[in-house]
Amino acid sequence: MAGATIDHMVAITVLAAALLLTMGVYGQMLASVVAYERSREVAMKAVDLMDTICLGPGNPADWGQRNVTPTCFGLQDPDGSGYALSPFSLMRLLSSSGDQVYYNITGEWYSNVSWGIDGGYLLVPIDECINYANVSRLLGVNGSYGFQLSVTPTLSISISEVQSNPLELSVGVRGPGSPLSGAALSYLMYWTLDEKDPETGSPLLNFTSGSSITNSAGLASLDFPQINVNNNRTAYTIIVNAQLGGLYGVGYKSRETITSAGNIIPFVESFENGTVLLAHKWGKNDPDGNQGALHFNATFYVLSESFVPINVDLPNSTGLVNYGKGGKPFHQIQIPTYNVGFLVVAYCKGNEFGMVIMPWGLSTIGISLTFGGNPSGYDFVATELRQVLVNEISYQAKVAVWSLKR
Amino acid sequence: MMRTVEVLFVIIIILGAFMIASQFAVLPSPRQIFGTNLRELAVSTLQTFDARYNLRRIAFSDDPDAWGDLQKALSAALPPNIVYNLTVFNIITTGGVVTYHMENSISNAEGDLGVDSEAASCLVTSSEVTFGITPEKIGGEKPRTLYILNCEDANGWWITGYTGQTLASDCYNLLSPYFETTVLVNTTEQLEFLLENSTQIGGTIQNAVVINTFGEAVPIPSNYCEGGSEQSKGYEGGTYAKYCHTLGVRTRLCNWTWVSIVGYPLYYVTNTETLKNYHNGYRIYGMRSVGAAGLNNFLRGIDNQPYSSSDNQWITEDIREQLEFTSEARDFSNYYGIYPAPSPMASRALPVTGPSSIEGNYDLARRATMFKLKTVSGSQYSPAATFSHNGGGALTAIGLTRIPDIRITVLDLLMYYRPQIYRSEFGASDTSRLITLQLSQQGGT
Repeated sequence: MAGATIDHMVAITVLAAALLLTMGVYGQMLASVVAYERSREVAMKAVDLMDTICLGPGNPADWGQRNVTPTCFGLQDPDGSGYALSPFSLMRLLSSSGDQVYYNITGEWYSNVSWGIDGGYLLVPIDECINYANVSRLLGVNGSYGFQLSVTPTLSISISEVQSNPLELSVGVRGPGSPLSGAALSYLMYWTLDEKDPETGSPLLNFTSGSSITNSAGLASLDFPQINVNNNRTAYTIIVNAQLGGLYGVGYKSRETITSAGNIIPFVESFENGTVLLAHKWGKNDPDGNQGALHFNATFYVLSESFVPINVDLPNSTGLVNYGKGGKPFHQIQIPTYNVGFLVVAYCKGNEFGMVIMPWGLSTIGISLTFGGNPSGYDFVATELRQVLVNEISYQAKVAVWSLKR
Repeated sequence: MMRTVEVLFVIIIILGAFMIASQFAVLPSPRQIFGTNLRELAVSTLQTFDARYNLRRIAFSDDPDAWGDLQKALSAALPPNIVYNLTVFNIITTGGVVTYHMENSISNAEGDLGVDSEAASCLVTSSEVTFGITPEKIGGEKPRTLYILNCEDANGWWITGYTGQTLASDCYNLLSPYFETTVLVNTTEQLEFLLENSTQIGGTIQNAVVINTFGEAVPIPSNYCEGGSEQSKGYEGGTYAKYCHTLGVRTRLCNWTWVSIVGYPLYYVTNTETLKNYHNGYRIYGMRSVGAAGLNNFLRGIDNQPYSSSDNQWITEDIREQLEFTSEARDFSNYYGIYPAPSPMASRALPVTGPSSIEGNYDLARRATMFKLKTVSGSQYSPAATFSHNGGGALTAIGLTRIPDIRITVLDLLMYYRPQIYRSEFGASDTSRLITLQLSQQGGT
């Protein structure tokens, strides 16, 4: 009798132990499966979002060139096909990478795609931008998934001064994988050399272009014997195009100088009308009182596929801005075209000269953009990468997606 | 003791079930979840590298430098943890059998890329090869004849910058491949042959397509004019609206498609000889105004309604905004390779709803709608379309603002008849190459 009882007790104990062990292992396995499935859903959503964003132009298709809110979101170039993104739709996305800029004269906040990076500015009024919440709603992920879209040039082109008298620039070309050796470079150089229009007092621009090839380290040296960078008496803007085997990139450098009367910063006023404000500023924090006037000369160039700039006449392209009371804190110009190009603004106060550049269409000077939420702090973030073209310049579009359901 | 043995059996069964379940509960590959979609990355890489035809140029090149450049570009463009293998195959067709012969291959990895690799491919054609097309003839076994009014004794209106003859030439070049027979009607006398069903004109009059290239004016034979032997078919009650009615009747009876290329259809009649003393109000001699009664009576004729000299109500609308192509028009534009100027405007759009609707009043059905309809004062208007009558005959009315874009007329007609285009084989030997790009992710799980 006692033997049978012991037998039962041993059997029950062993069975219970085995069941507990098995349930534990099963539970662990199931939890792992659920986690994998959730991650898989997020990864699939990343693919889905990338396809939607890159392979459809949205509705209306030309929303990037008009002051309308799209009813369907997509960044594909309406005049292109496949992985070709619209340079104008990208410009209308509210940048999440830079601090927004407030311009007290217009009372407007501006999306900061580029604030003076190598003398390049792209500041777009927030009222005309498409924000993350809107796009999330249009993509059907509002409240369920977060995402971040970054569009960066495939080729990173860095330009630095090696020598100033005469000017010698070093150009470095590299991709995400490696430096690009043997790349054919073409460049456009605009410069002003202490020369002014005797009638308007505005700086006069000179132009030269040329070509070169990168060495095995992806570097090339450009010499400009005619340009001496003498303190602030010389300013220049250079745009470099690199290409090799179907890969195209563009980079720039503009010698932005803060004169004793500040400098000029271009703000996009209206996409639809192509109006740009040339604002007299000292950066994000202007000083009080009258600080003197700046003469300027604004020139717009349409950039063709063959990298030949076409000068487009701008009405009222020269003038004077004056920050002080009763002055003229900004000057409005209108870009009369929807072809991509770039705006070069040369300014001077006395013998101090400076230049800034603003792209019209994101890709013309190779600016990158980050749009959307911040993925940091989330357990799992799926990423999706595609090669895209933005007006024939090679870019990489990367979408990071995460689940908002904890 | 037996209980313990039984329990051991149960434990064995449970463990067995666990192992079997583990076998079936296959988790997705970590790379599938965490890695980027390599196939789409490969597709986008091929597309972007070939955007300016560089990839295909290299695919057909024997220059090792060009291949070296491509290799460097691929290495620079792809993330460092991704290896690739790009292979180009020449497509050779021998006796109808297609074989793929490897031409060249570049890679930044040694050996196989592994089972987790993904690949994409594209077919490219040589820029030095021209592929021919063979259009289907409109009408099939009963081919239709295309008549293009090219009358030397007629003047045009609203065709600023052109003459009827130059537009006729353009029409001929663009449309004649789609027709078995194309006849240029070179005089108003020949036009009379056409209207009188005479064999002297050539071609097959029944089921023909007649294009009036003179804009808002339509050539009229002398005999149809006032005092002519066939005056009753062209002139009555002080107006030539009767001529337009006759055209409508002929369109119905002969099952024509009458084509007006621009502006208000049939607004004037023109004959530089018989009407040489008249002008259209703008000092263009050889032309007389018919007004809105011309189109109204043409539509009455096509709908077998009696002629009415008093039916002269203006029915078109001025659309003061840019027009948008229908998705159907865009598709056919790509299919036929005809690309009209985008976003024109229409000042003579025809009503398709409302009290003046030509569809309702004349039993017409709208086909080949080129532009999206516009609504004005509650009625919808069609800027350019073909309107067919169920009793026979059709009117293609391109009510756009001058100057005329003949490509719109041509595209609308092709949309209406939809002839097929047979393209030559892309698989012809040595003309196409297949490029495959295989990608694999290195490192990680």
